[in-house]
Amino acid sequence: MTAVSSRDLTEAEDAAFAAVELARHPQRPRALDVIEHLFDDWTELRGDRLYGDDPAMLGGPALLDGRWVMVLAQEKGSDAMSRALRNFGMPHPEGYRKAQRLMRQAERFQLPVLCLVDTPAAHAGVGAEERGQAWAIAETLLVALRLRVPVISTILSEGGSGGALALALADRVLALENAVYTVAPPETCAAILWRDSGQRARAALALRPGVATALALGLVDELIPEPSPGVHAHPTLVMAALRGALVRHLDQLDALGAEPRMSLRRSRYRSAGDPVLN
Amino acid sequence: MVRAATGTADRARPYPLIRPILRPGLGSCEGCGARHLQERFERALQVCPACGHHGRVPAPVRIEQLADPGTVAPIAAMVPERDPLRFDDGMAYPDRLRAAREATGQSEAMLTARASLGGTTVVIASMEFDFLGGSLGSAAGALFAAGCDLAVAERRALVAVCTSGGARMQEGIAALAQLARCTAAVAAVADAGLPYLAVLADPCFGGVTASFAAQADVILAEPGARIGFAGGRVIEQAARDQLPDGFQKAEFLLSHGMIDAVVSRTELRPILTTLLRAYGGRCARVPA
Ligand SMILES: [Zn+2]
Repeated sequence: MTAVSSRDLTEAEDAAFAAVELARHPQRPRALDVIEHLFDDWTELRGDRLYGDDPAMLGGPALLDGRWVMVLAQEKGSDAMSRALRNFGMPHPEGYRKAQRLMRQAERFQLPVLCLVDTPAAHAGVGAEERGQAWAIAETLLVALRLRVPVISTILSEGGSGGALALALADRVLALENAVYTVAPPETCAAILWRDSGQRARAALALRPGVATALALGLVDELIPEPSPGVHAHPTLVMAALRGALVRHLDQLDALGAEPRMSLRRSRYRSAGDPVLN
Repeated sequence: MVRAATGTADRARPYPLIRPILRPGLGSCEGCGARHLQERFERALQVCPACGHHGRVPAPVRIEQLADPGTVAPIAAMVPERDPLRFDDGMAYPDRLRAAREATGQSEAMLTARASLGGTTVVIASMEFDFLGGSLGSAAGALFAAGCDLAVAERRALVAVCTSGGARMQEGIAALAQLARCTAAVAAVADAGLPYLAVLADPCFGGVTASFAAQADVILAEPGARIGFAGGRVIEQAARDQLPDGFQKAEFLLSHGMIDAVVSRTELRPILTTLLRAYGGRCARVPA
């Protein structure tokens, strides 16, 4: 039995939270930056046709390497103004319903769906609850599961809670190496477990939020490497690697055909979370 | 204390339906504080005769309350024990599971059984809130999915009683994945043309509401049940929003169009019976 000193523990907690902060680095490329780097002819389509338009959720067709795809993305904003406009990337129900609408549209016009995940969590608020946040996420999961077209999701920086999973139920899930993918942000986890969101570093250590955990559990398929200190220092390099990976996976998924692809997607999630980390 | 890194081996355990012991003596209503004889309270389905408050019901009792007498057959399922993150929140996760099992007599937060409900044989999935806050982890997700599979294999309707604080933090990302697993299981039931009826009991939040609770064909909720995505406390803190009267109560959700009906506990059996008769027509037949 090894004794762990409280100082070692504090250092480990600080390191774990530093990794979360790296994933939240304000200079990391946001969804709009990625769209600009990767796609041509991006045409934003807005509104859920029910209530409103959610600026935290973007969608529309675009060209990737000469092929039309439907892009769905959570956008956090890149300065004080745009962060407020984008609600820090936390979608409301109308964002998820817009995503559903565009997923169905992608299927109708035979476009693969490419999701870019970047959200700490779905928005928690009175309006979001009144308009059925849980219902919107649950329905998005069902729509994504049933899509006949290929679905590839990329976790850009932060993927938290069902709010992230709604755009990450996919045939392939990619993630930038320094991204985090968690059941809840460390602050929320600490509030739930210890009724103290101040213990976020402790929660960050316990949650193992790095995407390497999701990779080991089979919930992420491939990490896109980020040269030190992170994608923000080498955006062009990382974006080129991401584009290459997306094209490669799209080719593989196209070759599979709709029925095998759908059945593989379902069987993947039927055993989701079962493999055990070493 | 540091546990050995090899302590993650799966242990499968048999899954017994343990009949809870009726508690003797006096109890008091959590709604109005009225004192009542425990035995009479349980005969009244844990509904307070003074104020109508719907008390919390353990998972196996819930199944007994809904089923025709003497028809409950627990579904034998192995519960894989997982600790994917070797999580320690002050107590090691395996120890926390052991304590929850001892406190509730249940193997997990999800209990499944085959039972007759108003003459129709159904698969019932019933959640145990007292088992780590009814949280959804990979074992509970696997049990729910196995119940859905059985419904599909035997062409039965699915009835789920949902009460949960959300995804189980101790399983981290593996718990989040259960939302996808349960979605795939519900889709299989729906694609087989089988009805899925959900009853939401107090409280029902987070990942359970955001997956199989909200994916049912018909959603009923008990009076006063608190239901939503984020908890009211989180919303007040995060947004400093003034919470409207009755926020996230079953009646509030009904008025916002999120559920089909608010149904008192004594009325659940007759309404489910009628719905099973209305929607159960395709159960016996293989769809074209
Ligand atoms: Zn009372």
